[in-house]
Amino acid sequence: MKQSTGAALRRDRIRRRYKYVDSSFILFLITIFQIVSFIPVVFANGGFAAESAILAFGYLAFEWIYVFFMQSVMKKVNFELELIAFFLSGIGLCIAESVEQGAMKMQLLTIVLGVIVYDVLLWFIKDVKRVMFMRAPLSVFTIIFFVGCFAFIYLTGNEINGAYNWISLGPISFQPSELVKIAFVFVGAATLDKMLTSKNIYLFIAFAMGCIGVLFLMKDFGTALIFFFTFIVIAFMRSGDIRSIAFICVAALIGALIILYFRPHVAARFATYRHIWDDPYDRGFQQTRLLIYSVSGGLQGLGIGNGQLRHVYASTTDLVFGMLCEELGLIVAFAVVLTFAILLVYAVKCSKSSPSTFYSISAAAAASLILFQTSLNIFGVTDILPLTGVTLPFISEGGSSMVSCWALFAFIKAADIRAYPNLYKTA
Amino acid sequence: MKNTTKRVYIVLLLLVAFLGGLGFMLYTFITDGPTWVADRGNEHIYSYGSLTVAGTIYDRDGEELVSTADGERIYHESEAVRRSTQHVVGDPEGYISTGVQNLYRSNLVGYNFANGIYNILSSDKGCDIKLTVDADVSAAAYRAMDGDKGTVVVYNYKTGETVCMVSAPNYDPLNKPEDIDSDTSGYYDGIYLNRAISGVFTPGSTFKVVTAIAAIENLPDVYEKEFYCTGKYTTGKGSGNGDVICFGVHHDIDFERGLNYSCNVVFGTLANEIGAEKLTETVRNLGFGKNVTISKADAVRSTFDVTDATRLDLGWAGIGQYTTLVNPCQMLMLMGGIANGGKAMIPYLVEDSSELVDVKGKVNTDFILSAETADKVKKLLRSNVENYYGDEKFPGLEMCGKTGTAEVTTGDDHAWFVGFSQREDFPYAVVVCLENGGSGYYDAIPVANAVLQALDED
Repeated sequence: MKQSTGAALRRDRIRRRYKYVDSSFILFLITIFQIVSFIPVVFANGGFAAESAILAFGYLAFEWIYVFFMQSVMKKVNFELELIAFFLSGIGLCIAESVEQGAMKMQLLTIVLGVIVYDVLLWFIKDVKRVMFMRAPLSVFTIIFFVGCFAFIYLTGNEINGAYNWISLGPISFQPSELVKIAFVFVGAATLDKMLTSKNIYLFIAFAMGCIGVLFLMKDFGTALIFFFTFIVIAFMRSGDIRSIAFICVAALIGALIILYFRPHVAARFATYRHIWDDPYDRGFQQTRLLIYSVSGGLQGLGIGNGQLRHVYASTTDLVFGMLCEELGLIVAFAVVLTFAILLVYAVKCSKSSPSTFYSISAAAAASLILFQTSLNIFGVTDILPLTGVTLPFISEGGSSMVSCWALFAFIKAADIRAYPNLYKTA
Repeated sequence: MKNTTKRVYIVLLLLVAFLGGLGFMLYTFITDGPTWVADRGNEHIYSYGSLTVAGTIYDRDGEELVSTADGERIYHESEAVRRSTQHVVGDPEGYISTGVQNLYRSNLVGYNFANGIYNILSSDKGCDIKLTVDADVSAAAYRAMDGDKGTVVVYNYKTGETVCMVSAPNYDPLNKPEDIDSDTSGYYDGIYLNRAISGVFTPGSTFKVVTAIAAIENLPDVYEKEFYCTGKYTTGKGSGNGDVICFGVHHDIDFERGLNYSCNVVFGTLANEIGAEKLTETVRNLGFGKNVTISKADAVRSTFDVTDATRLDLGWAGIGQYTTLVNPCQMLMLMGGIANGGKAMIPYLVEDSSELVDVKGKVNTDFILSAETADKVKKLLRSNVENYYGDEKFPGLEMCGKTGTAEVTTGDDHAWFVGFSQREDFPYAVVVCLENGGSGYYDAIPVANAVLQALDED
């Protein structure tokens, strides 16, 4: 009697804590937001862009079909993460199309690809034994793939903005580091051990150093920093060894200083940091424009299509936060970036109650990776941190970034006790 | 398992750092927003660096000095008004850095943190600014200057409202001359400078007012002193001595008549009797050399330095020569302070803007002058007009004042007149400084009178 009351209470508590949210209603609100934001894109300059209209409609339909299919056929019940991702991807889609008509086609394709990767990955990591089996081959493959990519980029001389981080194959170009991000979290978090100590992580350290090393060769320091940060999170969660972590951080800092000392051109890249107004027509151009136009928008924004930042290079990628501020307003811009902060809290909560250490670590790592990248982006372009040229998750235009964001969401989702109901019952 | 569960909290450090960064960003957006928005790179409001949309600037009677129509700035119909208010209003390109169109541009485009610049984009209307200057009085000053370079400033010494601030040379903003940058004749020298705010000039005899204040405060018997003017004041024998030349031979003369006749012998002698230290103290106490902000524009600081001066140098310094350079607005505040019983109001130009707290009607706290001394000097300045220049020079104004004819190395003398009306219903102080304009008495006084008469009739 006593026991069953306890169980009932616990069930009730769980039910109250994870209150059922009606996905259709939320999607309905998101749809309204997206229709309103697509209208000025479709009717830009007094015309009617039929292709944009069809694609926008296609995106809305895709969202509904996906949720409907997952709900009725796949019998899934909660879609908070997916809806957030749809909402954010939609904003990015809208901005990309509004700046350059036709950009949406490719972007929409990558969202669909991202959703597929998300669901496949979610299915794959359901079986932690399968994950463990894949860990070693995936690390080897990733390193070979990453080095191969770098060699290819270097040999074809595809240097973009001083870095070798883009592979161009005809019309398709992508950033291999974005895909490696997925493998990085996967390999780093993969473990079956319950009590974790330092001895478990030597292989992962080697793998991490390999990835970060390639990023240094690519001169993609922003992404290298993201990888390093994620490595620290994973290493700490696996070992709990704060002294070793502190030692690694100090060593990395010294390493970074040595690089800055012996490679002045690397330091020169950060020379404008806190000095963007000294050179507002050349090296500080993008950032000063971003600040000028961000505050021009006010809280509610000037409206999609009415901004000026859109005419500045990289407005839909690195500078997209400024476009959010200027055209959609400070409230939306801050809401978007705060979403990533709330996601981290959500991931921490899920991580605590997750049935497997793998999910605990991967969710925390993925969510903090996303928030860290968000920080590097928005604080970089606003000159609060040095500019490193990383993208704003989901919002920045770019296929590989979109796919990796969706994939990272799969890791967060997996830690939610509702993701694999059967798994939780047996655990 | 337990360990991993707790370890996850470490990522919340990132959350704290992120929220801190976001808070800092919001803070910089709020504090620096007005500066950023008003940057010339903002193509919402600038086209090729020229302001295209902004609110209207009115004079104190509500006349439109400049407004916006169809993406262009439209100026007042009268050329004299356009020219005479040019330096206060400023130009759309912002070459005139102290102009209202430059310093108040974030107000003019209606920027505020909540709405950004939405209002001006949706309605083409920014926030309007009302100035304290009077278009007609300014035009009268411009006409009276008759092509001379220099400046004329008039302000209400009880409130600080500046009704006239004209600087020349200027140009007609409707037909900006194309040879401004290429000109080598010197005709356009400093055309973008508001000489009242950004200029410093040798004060000449107008500085005797300062020496007189130092004498009253440091030499108790100054009114009883007897001087003898032979046309020059010989400071003594040996190196560092020499003659301070006077432009008259005044024979027996006392302090008051010495100021009336602007006798260099009297004031050269007084400067040396007061001594460099005490004279410097008085100059500092009257606010010379201190920062003054006039409606967001920082006035150039006046300079007075007699630290290494010989007796001869000090003699020249006492009559406003030597290395002394004064800012016209500083002289205006000197007159204002004397007229207003020792309290000098800081001049201001903007009556009304979207600013929550407009800086106006502030007392200059760097200006220290006792009411007693102020009254004595006021009587001396009244005596100048009454007994020497003649009240007929300023009909109906009950003027007090002092002329100056400052010797400069570049061409003709600077012609000065500084003064104020002591009429209760007409509390205005005036500074006229005509660069290489000739004589204070013959050239500056008529200009001062013309402006004040225009103001009195207004």
